[in-house]
Amino acid sequence: MGASEHIRASCTEGVRRISFRLRQKSYFFIIFTVGHRWVFLLAWRYLFPKKRFGTFFTWMSVVGIAAGVALLMIVLSIMNGFDTHIAEKLIQINGVIKIIARRPIAKDEVFLENIRRLPHVKAITPYVAGISMMQVGERVALPKCLGLDIETAPSVLPLERFLTKGSLNGLKDGAWVSEALAHECGLDVGDTFELYSPLALEAMKKEELLLPQEVTVAGLFKTGWAEADRSTVLLPLELAQELYALSDNVHGFSVEADRKYLGEVCRDINHLLPPGLVAYTWNTLNADFLYILKLEKAMCFFVLLFVVAVAAFSMSSGLMSAVVRKRRELALLRTWGATKTDLSLLFGLQSLLLGFLGLLTGFAGAAVILHERNTIVRGLTGWLLPKDALWNFYDVETLPAVWSRQDMLWIVLLTLVMTLLASLLPIGRMYKLPLVQSLRRG
Amino acid sequence: MYLNVVWRKVNIQSTEAATEIGEHIAVEPLLAVENLSKSFGTQLLWRDVSFTLNKGESLSVCGISGSGKSTLLLAIGGLEMIQSGTVTFDGRPVIGGRQAFIEGIGYVFQHYHLIEELTVRENLLLPFSIRFGGRQMPDIWDEVLDLLGLRELLDRLPTTLSGGEQQRAALARAVLMKPKLLLADEPTGSLDEATGARVMELLLQVCRRFRMSLILVTHSQTFAARTDRRMLLKDGFLCEQGYKREVDG
Repeated sequence: MGASEHIRASCTEGVRRISFRLRQKSYFFIIFTVGHRWVFLLAWRYLFPKKRFGTFFTWMSVVGIAAGVALLMIVLSIMNGFDTHIAEKLIQINGVIKIIARRPIAKDEVFLENIRRLPHVKAITPYVAGISMMQVGERVALPKCLGLDIETAPSVLPLERFLTKGSLNGLKDGAWVSEALAHECGLDVGDTFELYSPLALEAMKKEELLLPQEVTVAGLFKTGWAEADRSTVLLPLELAQELYALSDNVHGFSVEADRKYLGEVCRDINHLLPPGLVAYTWNTLNADFLYILKLEKAMCFFVLLFVVAVAAFSMSSGLMSAVVRKRRELALLRTWGATKTDLSLLFGLQSLLLGFLGLLTGFAGAAVILHERNTIVRGLTGWLLPKDALWNFYDVETLPAVWSRQDMLWIVLLTLVMTLLASLLPIGRMYKLPLVQSLRRG
Repeated sequence: MYLNVVWRKVNIQSTEAATEIGEHIAVEPLLAVENLSKSFGTQLLWRDVSFTLNKGESLSVCGISGSGKSTLLLAIGGLEMIQSGTVTFDGRPVIGGRQAFIEGIGYVFQHYHLIEELTVRENLLLPFSIRFGGRQMPDIWDEVLDLLGLRELLDRLPTTLSGGEQQRAALARAVLMKPKLLLADEPTGSLDEATGARVMELLLQVCRRFRMSLILVTHSQTFAARTDRRMLLKDGFLCEQGYKREVDG
């Protein structure tokens, strides 16, 4: 057995032992707490005395924790909403899988047919991508050009959804211009512009003149993805091939596949591809960007967690004063046979109960606010901000929000851990107090 | 040289006279206190306190404020550290300040210490629940409730009760555990004379009824006179005032 295998085996054994001990401890905890029902009763009554709907301390603590939990849930849900929105846009623009060629490749290769036959692959379309110079009267722009096959592209990219003016068939012999670019150059459907190939520079070196192509605007589009909308021209594949002198070749292919099996499909495609071609899933292609989104969310989570921490430790100070106030009762409990562990459990349970109630209230509050988020945002934007600026920038009709089970689990776990940690202070105080001596005086 | 001319230091042995005092007293020592001394820093509180107490016997300890009566009571119950001496309860040594709970010892305090958040019923059952896990009811539940007149008060909160009612509830709470020895620290101290007398009457009644020994710390000579034996804590010594019968005589 090699050293690495030995280490792995001992790690596995260690994990197995720890999990066994944890299981044993949790069984012990369950048996212990069932045998201490009075602790539950007393912890509950301290928070919710008989014939009263909780104490001021109880509700202040619950509201504090609930505010932190609700804030976390709302912010994370909206961030999830925007992340999903952005991911959807990235997929809509690029397709779920992209096959990128290092050198131009013929669009009717045999392997394409094999890819089409793969399970979970729905469609495949070729593309040509590059930069060109565009001239409209005196105005010059350097848009990104994307050549698409009008026959196959709609089954991979939701072109019709992007179209804001013009027709889908117009892309057969005209171009679609992004709204922002059209607005900048003063173009509308039916107008024409001149498109210069980057090859014109090479031609000029040879003292040749490559004339620009005259292209008619067949449609205007908006994807909702700022980078694509800023300056993009969609062209018929043939025109793009001519522009970049590719003859019948293309730069790559976009593939539509079942999103559940993307990794598997991408791997299968890569097995079929000849050297010089590589297939990437949309999230691999945008890995850096997605990492930044995740990082932002993690930082938000970390910062907002301090709200819960502050609430938990303010609850802790309330419990500490309760320890001092109730020291004679605690001393009496000791004379009846309660151990210091029981009393620790009493305060730990109060903390946990407050944390649990804070979580429930916080989640309920977050659910209501998220449900009414658009009304709230409309009210706020109408009052504070120009409404259109917000909608135009984010390109959302409504504020997106997505509940994530994983986020909820983390919030529950960390809130309970923090409330438990906060209970250590009153428990420590209780251990230091000379409880029994407090019985000497009334 | 520590002694007052009126009071003399006595080691009290009550067993011989026990049967003469009353039928409720068994000639069987329950508590033995020997040479108990307590001081706070260099200040002596009391020293060489020794006495024994029989099963079912009641004993009162009087003394001025600050004489250390309550501290003596807590020391007997093992709740207070002592400098020297031994306490033996029911044949077992009581280690001062190290154990908060001793099976068979119950407490009643001047300020009742009922838990405000619990009803009277919950207050009464809490010690029982701690001891036995709350799976059974005390077998003397009905008897104690009737004796102390608490049946109507069970669902009320302590804050809605009068002082006398609260002390009755505190007494019931201690008695339900059927302790062999009840340590009562000025149980009538917060009550008016009439209510105090009523509570005192009930306290002695339950002690007799359930054959519990009682050590009563009190300022009241009247209440002290009702116990089987009276003692005075003065100038750091515990002195016996003689048996009740002798005093009465």
